[in-house]
Formats: sequence, structure tokens, C-alpha cells
Amino acid sequence: MRSALTLLSVTLIVLAQTVVVNRLPFGALSDGGPGPDLAVAAIVAIALTTSPAAAAGWGFGMGLALDVLPPADHAIGRYTLVLCLAGYLVALVHRNTGAPGAVSGRTSRWFAVGVVLVTSAGVGLAYAGLGLFVGDPGTGPADIAVTTVVGSALTLLVSPLVTLPLLWLRELMVDHEFATVQGPMSPRGW
Amino acid sequence: MLRDTPRSRIVLAVLVALSVILLVLDGRSGRNPFTAAARAGGELVFAPAAAGVGHVTAPAADLYGTLRMAPRSADRIAELEETNAELEEELRAARLDEGRAEQLDALLHLSGLGGYEIVPAQAVTRTTSHGYADVVTVDVGTESGIGTDMTVVNGAGLVGRVIEAGPRTATVLLATDVTSAVGARLESTRKIGVVTGGTVPGGPKADLTLELFDMEAPVEAGDRVVTLGSHEGAPFVPGVPVGTVEDVQAAPGALSRIARLAPAVDFASLDLVGVVVAGPAEDPRDSVLPPKPDAPEKEK
Repeated sequence: MRSALTLLSVTLIVLAQTVVVNRLPFGALSDGGPGPDLAVAAIVAIALTTSPAAAAGWGFGMGLALDVLPPADHAIGRYTLVLCLAGYLVALVHRNTGAPGAVSGRTSRWFAVGVVLVTSAGVGLAYAGLGLFVGDPGTGPADIAVTTVVGSALTLLVSPLVTLPLLWLRELMVDHEFATVQGPMSPRGW
Repeated sequence: MLRDTPRSRIVLAVLVALSVILLVLDGRSGRNPFTAAARAGGELVFAPAAAGVGHVTAPAADLYGTLRMAPRSADRIAELEETNAELEEELRAARLDEGRAEQLDALLHLSGLGGYEIVPAQAVTRTTSHGYADVVTVDVGTESGIGTDMTVVNGAGLVGRVIEAGPRTATVLLATDVTSAVGARLESTRKIGVVTGGTVPGGPKADLTLELFDMEAPVEAGDRVVTLGSHEGAPFVPGVPVGTVEDVQAAPGALSRIARLAPAVDFASLDLVGVVVAGPAEDPRDSVLPPKPDAPEKEK
């Protein structure tokens, strides 16, 4: 149930990113600049509520979908790799540092939004760095800085609309599924 | 510090390896069938979804565009209105010029046919202080060689004669004025008469009336009338079309035959006229008359 709902949400988010967000005139804000990244906002919500391996899997799927869907401005696999690693790292750090919500099962909303900002910046830099590595023309340090900052800010703005509902949905499902489970078991699952 | 299960690490390693493989496959030059198929599949999903969203959000997008353009659209409308007015003005001027050019052509044609030497002029006004006399003012005067008792024509025929010439303007008494009398000759029979403006006593109501001196002269509707010509071409040069007989009044006991003429010139729309400053060397007779309009019909 939880996986199915997550899959549905992720599908909708990926489609919304491709069909709606990517077609909005964000170029008006900054010269041909970036828009918000709903996929980052979604992967954070998933990574905060699941294991590193599962988060890596979700990241892989979303990244692959976004790579395959138009516009084909980069090689397939580039965003897949970045999102996969992002999901894994967020989940891993969250698990191992005892951040808020790791034990209680309820993630602080402010914390989630902060993680979105950090992840967004990291994903932006990693995506651009990978572009430099594979020889993508048109990425200079100045471009990367502007794109990352603006993109992160916009992603932060949309995160209350994407991350928080998805987080709420996944935690709600955990509560139902593990309502009778007692013990020091942290909620996990796909 | 960052602990993880080996299974989780393996999963990550596999996923990363897959990504890198895809990246390498697609990054290589040349067309890879696998990634091409993947992109085609993505497009298959994207196209209908994008079209659907576009269809649904079209009104919002229109509204957004309208709002964005709103501050500029007022200026744009003003600019377009200005351009439109300019173009309309130009079009009107062009139409007017076209009409003028046609009239001038006709005038030159007529003066060429008759051998008249003319000064083109424009009828400036037809109003008089009292409105009894049928006169127009034209915008040429003695500076252009205009004097009194000169014939005024336009492309269609006789307009009148100059009764007063100032330095830059001249007053023309139209042929339709009741005080105007023009010596005239029937086109075919060469019979002479007088064309007076308005109605003669005992005659029908008309703009121009022809009185023939010869009671026996055959005259019927459709006969055309040209000027007879005066001594030394003043006030009327010979051969200018005056009008067409509309009907002949059979008045028992009258001293002359009276016919109603349809003027050759449309006096209501006088614009470009010519003042004949020198008459022809010899009488052009009927050569100035346009070809009879109903002649070809009769042949049929």
C-alpha cells in the first residue's frame, strides 16, 4: 500500500516536473535559468523514511524516468546516477547520525525542508560536476554557481508542496502498518 | 561512522554501476539502439501528457500572457491606432489623387482632340453670398494668363466661361446659370441654336435648354450638341460638347423648337477644370465628342 501510493506520487511528480515545471517560463527570473526540481524534493521525503538501499532504488527510478523523458539535453544515466547517490546518502546519513525523526518516527518539517535545501545544492553541484566530467559543453564555474543557487532556492520554495505531503503520506502509512509493532524497531520498508 | 549493511551497499553498487553503464552507452558518439528506444518510449509518454496539460492550462497561460502584456498593450494599441489613421489618410489621399489623375487625363484628351490650349485649374468653391448665381471659383487667375470671357471645360465638356479674373482666382459662370447663353450646334444636322441655363419661358424644367432657330430642323432625343464658337474664341471656343438632347417639346405656336438637354458635365461634382487660353486654329467640328455610346448597340 505504501509502496503503491509512493509510486503513484512519484509518477505524478515526475510527470509534473517534465510536463508542467519544465515548460514554465523560468527564464524570466534568471537568464535562461533553472527551475525548481520536484524530483529532489520527492527523493528527500522518501530517503527520510526508508533505508539507504531503498532510497537509492527510488532515486535510480526517478532519475532514469527524468533522463528518458524529453528534453534529451543530457546523456541517459547522468541524472539517474546523481539522484541514486543522493537518495542513498541522505538515507544513510539520516540513519547513522540520529537526526530528528530517526527514532521517534516523526520527522520535523523544518528539518525536512532544510535537508531539501542541502540535497538540492548537492544534487545541482554533482549534476554539473558530472557534466564537466563527461565533457558537457556550456558549463562554466559561474554558470554552475548561478544555476545551483537559483535552482536550490526554487526547489526550497516548492518543497512544502512536494516534500511535506509525501513525507506525511509515507509516515501515515507506516503508522498504520506498524501500529501494533512494539520494540526498538525503526520504521522501514519500501 | 556511517554504518550500512553489506546488502545495502551491494544494492547501491549495482545501481551506480547501471547508471554509469547507461551514461557511457548514451554518451558515446553514434546512435545507441537501447537508449534511443528508451528516449522514444519517454517521448511516447511525454507527448500526450504535455498536450493534455497544455490543453488544460491554455486559458491560464493566455491569462498570464495577457496580464504580462497589459502595461505594454495600451501603448501598443495607441501606436496601432496612430498607424491605422496614417494609413487611412494615405489611402484616402491616394484615392483622391487617382480621381484627379483620371480627370486630368480626360481633360488633356479633350483639349488634345480639340486643339485647345488649356490651363488646368481646380474648382475651389461653388458657394456665393446669395446662392442665386451658378458660379464657381477656380484657383488660377491673370498670373496664369487667364482673362475674362475664356471658355472653361473639363474632361467631359463645357463648364462655363470666366466672368471675372483676379490675380490668383477667377470666377466662372456655369453653363447652367440662367444668365448663361451659349451658341450651339447640333452634332449631326449642323443646325444652330442657343443653349441657356435653366428653363426658358414656355419650356420644360431643365438644367440646360436648347432653342433651335429653325422650326423645321429635325431634332430628337439622343442628338448631341457642341458649342458653335464665338468671334475669336471668346467667350466660347467651338466644338466643346455641351450636352445631349433628352426630349423635344412640341409647342404649337412657338417661335422656336425647345429641347431639354442633359449636360455633358456633371456640375454637381466639379473638381478639375481647364481654362481654354487659346482656341483651336480651326473649328474641330464634332471631333471632340466622344463616340456615340449607343451606336454599337444599334449595330447589334
